[in-house]
Formats: sequence, structure tokens, C-alpha cells
Amino acid sequence: MNKTLLGYVPKESPIYFIHPFVKLYFLLVVSLFPMFITQPEVNLFIMAVILLLMIWSRVDLRILRIYVPVAIAMGWIILLSYTVLGGTHPEFELLAKVLGIKIYWERLRDGVVVYCRILPMIATMVFFLTTSRERDVIVAMRSVRIPFVVTYVFAMALRSSGMVLEDFQIVRQAEQARGFDTTGKSLGYKIRKYVMYMIPLFALSLRRTEEFTNALVARGYAFTGEAAKVKRADYILTHYSFKLHDGILVALISILFIIILTLRYGYNAFSLDSSLLINWLYQILR
Amino acid sequence: MVHLIEIENYSWQYLNTPQEALKNINLKIEQGSFVGIIGPNGAGKTTLAYSMDGLIPGQYRGLKHGVVKIRGIEVEEYPRGRLQQMVGMVFSDPEAQFTAMTVEDELVFGMENLGMSLPEIRERLEWVTELTELKHLLLKPPYEISGGQKQRVALAAVLAMTPEVLILDEPTSMLDPVSRKRVFEVLQKLKQSQNTVIVIEHSLENLIPLADRMILLADGEIALDAETGEFFQRLDLLLEKGISPPGAMRFFYELTQKNLYHGRLPLTVDEAAALLRGAA
Amino acid sequence: MSEMTAEQIWTVQAGEKRSVGVIHIVTLALLIGIGFVVGAFGSISFPLGFGVNFFWTGIAVQQVGSIWFGMWGVLAGIIFPFFSNAVAGTPFYVSAAYIPANFVQAFLPAWAFRYFKADPRLKSGRDYLILFLTMIVSSAFGALWSPLVVLRSFGLLTTESVPLFIWGWFGGNVIAGLVFNFILLKALSAVVIRTTAFVKQWWA
Repeated sequence: MNKTLLGYVPKESPIYFIHPFVKLYFLLVVSLFPMFITQPEVNLFIMAVILLLMIWSRVDLRILRIYVPVAIAMGWIILLSYTVLGGTHPEFELLAKVLGIKIYWERLRDGVVVYCRILPMIATMVFFLTTSRERDVIVAMRSVRIPFVVTYVFAMALRSSGMVLEDFQIVRQAEQARGFDTTGKSLGYKIRKYVMYMIPLFALSLRRTEEFTNALVARGYAFTGEAAKVKRADYILTHYSFKLHDGILVALISILFIIILTLRYGYNAFSLDSSLLINWLYQILR
Repeated sequence: MVHLIEIENYSWQYLNTPQEALKNINLKIEQGSFVGIIGPNGAGKTTLAYSMDGLIPGQYRGLKHGVVKIRGIEVEEYPRGRLQQMVGMVFSDPEAQFTAMTVEDELVFGMENLGMSLPEIRERLEWVTELTELKHLLLKPPYEISGGQKQRVALAAVLAMTPEVLILDEPTSMLDPVSRKRVFEVLQKLKQSQNTVIVIEHSLENLIPLADRMILLADGEIALDAETGEFFQRLDLLLEKGISPPGAMRFFYELTQKNLYHGRLPLTVDEAAALLRGAA
Repeated sequence: MSEMTAEQIWTVQAGEKRSVGVIHIVTLALLIGIGFVVGAFGSISFPLGFGVNFFWTGIAVQQVGSIWFGMWGVLAGIIFPFFSNAVAGTPFYVSAAYIPANFVQAFLPAWAFRYFKADPRLKSGRDYLILFLTMIVSSAFGALWSPLVVLRSFGLLTTESVPLFIWGWFGGNVIAGLVFNFILLKALSAVVIRTTAFVKQWWA
């Protein structure tokens, strides 16, 4: 298994045939799709396609388990926002009145629309995180000629987040070894826990700053001055080549985006009036 | 004669500290020599190493007196990056010096910084992975391999830049005996190919067979500087400064103290065995 | 050895050479790293939704980081929420729209400490007051910007639920700031101001 930013992908996976830039482009462009689509079924279809892509990439889908609470929490928040906190609107169609709270059809409908819009956006992010290695992000950025200093800061940030996580584990174990346990404890106790983690975590990171800087300087790294003007051979990029199929994929994503925009603004497509799911929901709830 | 490293009347005091970390250091190191530096904690060993690599005064604030020259040129006078091409530095915590996400990226990072061409990078990568036996780890994240492998990666990353002098600051302090031995096997190969190597180390068993010369630092000063064989004849001084000698040497020293032995102290187990065989 | 005054901490002395170095780049990266971890932790542990939560630990990295490391801290404070929000399930473009809020939250305390020459070691009541006020004002801006401008424009909230998110964002930041900012500055500033990474002006 190869470790990705979020989880693992087997050593043999078709995703490796895709250039990292295509994956980044997919994240940036496909994330935009739901913002132009109001029909929930279309957004759910996009999400299903992304999930199929994850299966095709042979991503260990167990990682999705951590997003189930996130999706549920968001669903609740949207539901509360559009029902309990939905306000009074005589112009809307009242479906029910529960404990004095007015449930309007339009509010519920909008809640469903918003929720179905957010799900594929999250799925796109999860797809990117589960199929990309840290190196892919760097390669993607470098292949579009983003300056070395910028890509390197990103690389270091990714690397240092790994270090901070390790430090966090060390600090946590050290605190637990001293009898610090938060199981079933109050919020106040948990907050105290964070305080006890944060100071050593910050102190460790500050110490690492010095060590890391020394290591970089000792290896001739510079981002200002003469040494920074050295023409760097980008060795990592030699392992990747942007092939015909990558070009086709970028073109496909772009064309799809243009089609969505054209349909949305030119033909008023994806409107709620023609939404099968919304109409079906309306029939049930009425 | 221009020495590879020349340090004259050199003192360094870190800003906001009450006393000098190094005091009046005078040291000359020739090309091709293998030098061991030992001393108790806080003796100034790392400060000395950093001074030779330009990290001091480059990255630290403090007061400097005297000169530290590499190939006859003061360290501050080198353009940034040029000195690091000449002096390679391996730190004690390998993980703290990793700058990349795969072993391969780690190894090529320094070479890229120096502006080497792709064919040159490929060639040196091939050489250094063979020397340090890291080929099978190239695609792994450097922080997910064993401690010994990590230190070999750190060493290889610096070696790939082919510096004229290699300084290792306690390179095996975090390693088990087997991994330690493997690091020293790499250093043995470097010695054979006439590289200049300076090793700061506590593990004397591995260092002694390789070192041509040993330096004892204590309280920021050079307390003893001699050819390795002579150096360890002053075991009384070393013990006084808190240095723990290898067991065989210590055994013969104890015999000397008890007037049971009057010859030279053996440096290694093999030498001790030969002495015992001779005595039998 | 005499102790530095607040004035001395922020003033570049005659002959003192300060320049941007590798250490600042490393500091930026490490702050992004630590912000990512603690920010994601806050977002996942105390969520309100869309990266808004009622105890956002990332605020400490934003505000303390920028007080110590100037623009490097501000930059980190803008960048790391992208990572931490992503892991907590916030869409990329929602995080992008939070940039002005994150900028103000990181910038204001850093500016106030430099402008009013407040002591990052929090030696006087004035230092505490400056920190407290900048926390309140910057978090208020963030709280108004994000639910009103970002979440509304993305259609994620109804007008009626905006106050909940405003108070959630504001409270989440101020409470976490009250818990961490004071302790971190008090505990570590004395060490940080002596390091080469410390930024007296904005970049060095």
C-alpha cells in the first residue's frame, strides 16, 4: 500500500497513470460544478461518479467512515438552519407545525438542495486527499511552473504537519502516562487538555524550526541571494510525464465545466422546477 | 601550506548566554584525514562543528573572535551555498534534517540546490545509494524507515553533494549497535577513498579504528589533541573529563593502576587480545 | 544580563542587522503544519459546520504566530485553514472565501503589538488589554464576514440562522483565544523573542 494524504492506495492502482496535475485540476474545477447546479439528483449523481472513481482507484473506502459524522453533522445543521431557525414566512407553503415551529416546504426544499450541493464538494476533496501523495501536490504545482520557493513551502508544510502529528502523539502519550485521561470528561476538562497539549507542541515546533533550518542551510538551500539564483534541475519531475490521456482528461473536465455553465445560463437547466427528486419529495410531504 | 581547515584563536559566545561556548580554539586539519572529536555534553562540540560549516555565525547570533578558514578563506566570505558544497554536515537527529517526502527526493535535494545537471544527479544518486545500500528504499518516506536507515539516508544526502570535508555530529547517538556499525562501515569506505571526515562521537569502539587523530573538547577548550594512539595513552585525563573508554582499554588501564601492566594501552579488542596472547 | 523592554523588543537597534532568512520560511511551514493539526482538531472536535466551530484552537496559531513572526504568521494563518478545513470536510472554495476573515484575525493582533509596542511576554495590564481588544475586534470581523458574506453567498444558511453562526464563530475564536493566546504568550514569548526566527518588523 502507498500512503496518501488521507489513507492508503494499493501499489497497483490505475490512479498512478494519471498525472498529479490532472488530479489537482479535477479538485479545483469539479469542486465548482455543484455551485452551478441546483437539482439535487444531478449533484448526487456527481457524488456517485466520484465514489466510483474512488473504487476504480482502489482507495480503501474505510476512510469514508470518518466523513460519515461530518456529513451527518452538516445535514443536521442545515436541517436546523432551514427549519428551527427558518423564520416565519407567510408567503411560503406551510407543511407542518411542530412544537410551535413552522416547517415550510420551500425551506425544506432549499435545505435539501444545499445539502446535496455540499456532498459532492466534500467528495471531490476526499477523492483528491485519498489518491494524492504529498509528492503529487508538489509535482502538480511545479508542473505549472509555480516558483520553487512556493512549492517548497507547501512541501515543508505538509512534512511539518506530519511531524506535528507525531509530536502530538508523543505529548499525548506523555500526558496519559501521567494519568491524564479525558474519557467521559466534561468540556471544561477537555479544554484543559488542549492547553496541556498546546504548550509542549508549540515548544517542540519552535525547536524544530532551528534544526530544520540548519539542515536546509547545510544542504545549500536558499531562497534569496546568489544561491537562490541557481538554475535547479527538477529531478522529481523526470519521473512524471504529461501523457496524451492526461491532456484528454484535462480537456474533458474543462469541456464538462463549459457545458454546465452553458446549460445553466444559456438554457436555464438544472432548475428546481424540473427536478425529479424535488417533485417526488413534494408529492410525499404535501 | 594551506590546510583544508584552519581555526585560529577562535572564540564564540551565543547571544544572551553568560559565557563563551568555545574559547581560544586553534586547530588545523589536513585533507584526507579522519578526525574524531569527543567530549562531555556542553563541551562545545556541536558549536565547533557548526562553526566549520558556517552555520555559526550564519544562523546564530553571538560574538565571534578569531578566524575559521576553509581552504584559506574565512567562512563568512563564501557566497551562500558555496561553503555547503565544500563542507557537508550530518546532524545527530536524522529525522530533524529530512526535508523531503521520499528518500529519493531527500537524496537529490542538495544536488538540486547546488544546480547540478540531471545526468550528474542521476550518476551521483546511483553511486551514493550503492555506497549506503539504500536503493530499495528510494520511494519510501524517510520518516517511515528504521533509525539506522534514516541516518544512512541523512549521510547519503550529504555525500551526494560530494563535499571536500564531511562533518558528522554524533551520527549514531540514536542508533542501536547494529545500525551504528553499518554507519561506520560507510565511513570506513569514505576513509579508504581519502575523504576528509570529522566525526563527533560518543561511541569510541567504532570511532577509534578509523580515526587518525583525536581531539578532546572540554568546557569550550581543546583539552587534548593528538594522533589516536597517543591520545588514548592519556586515559587519566580522558577519565577526568568524563570520557568513557572502550572496555578493553579500560581493563588495561586498571591493570596499569594496579602496577600489573606497564605498556601502551591497547586501542581495540584485537590489540588487547594480541597483548594477552603475547603475555600468555 | 538586563531584561529587554517592550520598546526594545520591537525596535531595531542601531547596527542591528535583520534580514529574511531560511528560518522564516521554515517558521512559515511549521506554523502551517501546527495550525493544520490543531485547527483540524478544533474543527472536528467542536463542529458547528462548514469549518465554523465553537472552540477553534487554530486561532492560537493565527494570533500568537503572527505576534511572534509577523507576516509569516499572518501568511500561515491564511494558508493553514485550507488544510484543516479540508480534513474537517469544508469545501475548497468555502475555505478560499474565508481568506479575508483569517487575514484580519491574524494581522490585527500582530499590528497592534507592533504599533503600540506591547510586550509579547504580557508584562502589564496594558499588554493584556491590547491582546484582548484585538482578539475581540478581529474575531468580530471574522464572525461577521464569514457567515454573512461566505456562507450566505454560498447559500449554505438561511438569514435567520446567520446569528447562530456569527456567535459560533465569534465565541469559538474568542474562547479558544482566551484559553490559549494568553498562556502561550506568557509561557513562550521570553524564549521566542531571543530566537533568530522572531520578527521585529513585518518580515524580519
